[in-house]
Amino acid sequence: MTAPASAVERSAALRVCLWCIVAAVAEVGLYVSYRGHDARFHWFTHFFVGSSLALVVMAVVATRTRRPVPLPLVWPFLAHLVAMLPDFLFTAGIAHERWMDVFLGHISSHFVPGRNLTWFAMFLAALAAYVVVVAQLPRAEAP
Amino acid sequence: MGQALRKRPTFRPTRPLAVWVAAAVGFGLLLAVARTAEGPLDDRDPAWQRPGFLDAGDLPVPAPPGLPVPGRTTVVFFVLSDGGSELCQALEAATLAEKVATAVVVADATPGACGASADVVADADGVVADDYGMRRPRGGGPPVGYAVVDATGAIRYRTLDPEVADRLGEVGTIVAALA
Repeated sequence: MTAPASAVERSAALRVCLWCIVAAVAEVGLYVSYRGHDARFHWFTHFFVGSSLALVVMAVVATRTRRPVPLPLVWPFLAHLVAMLPDFLFTAGIAHERWMDVFLGHISSHFVPGRNLTWFAMFLAALAAYVVVVAQLPRAEAP
Repeated sequence: MGQALRKRPTFRPTRPLAVWVAAAVGFGLLLAVARTAEGPLDDRDPAWQRPGFLDAGDLPVPAPPGLPVPGRTTVVFFVLSDGGSELCQALEAATLAEKVATAVVVADATPGACGASADVVADADGVVADDYGMRRPRGGGPPVGYAVVDATGAIRYRTLDPEVADRLGEVGTIVAALA
């Protein structure tokens, strides 16, 4: 007895949706954590930078393994955490320093020409790369 | 034959395009909403508002003489006429004024007083703010924010901060970075 392919796809879609909700709640939590540090601007910058890098890495991993990466929404979230780590330190009373650019360009990323619109474009390009890679992978066979 | 077809990579343009369009529209709308939520006292370029690190841009530069106390770190606050009392009350309650010298520049002709917490200077024509290189806010009026001058008399940090009275702890973080 095997599940129909459509049922398998529905189950997979449901899992992804649940992860979407978890990721969205987590990102809202990060946004709220910025209340004291101009969330509007900083959250977007570090989200776009972290997510773009994560999506590129995800595309490379998916290409090499010939499978979509597991937990695809966790990767951008973790990268976002890395990118905004100095802001946690700032909240704890440690000012930013230039060397904190090691956290995915935490300082310099705010000053690129075009500001967040540039990073938004990078994010959309990285997302396009990843979804195209995944779309070209072989479909999983039903058991 | 069927097995070969199943294993062949397939391209499914509809769903990837839907994911991409949803992300583009969703985040684009969020960016637009965030931009419109910025107030008239915010910096036109948010990158320069509360950057959180010393010596950003063309800093350090010598501070204009007068307000900085020689040999001491001085925080020069810039407020609107109706924001001075709130800041002065916050300074009275905070420990910042015990650690550094403070001065309040009020964008008004009648500066009033600030207790023992800080010297108060009137700056109705914005000359002092300009001398400190304070950026003009989006609304085009006088700046609300602060500049940090180190013990050698150099401006090491300056930013607009419409809510500075509520964020004196952050000013302390910047001052501590001078050590």
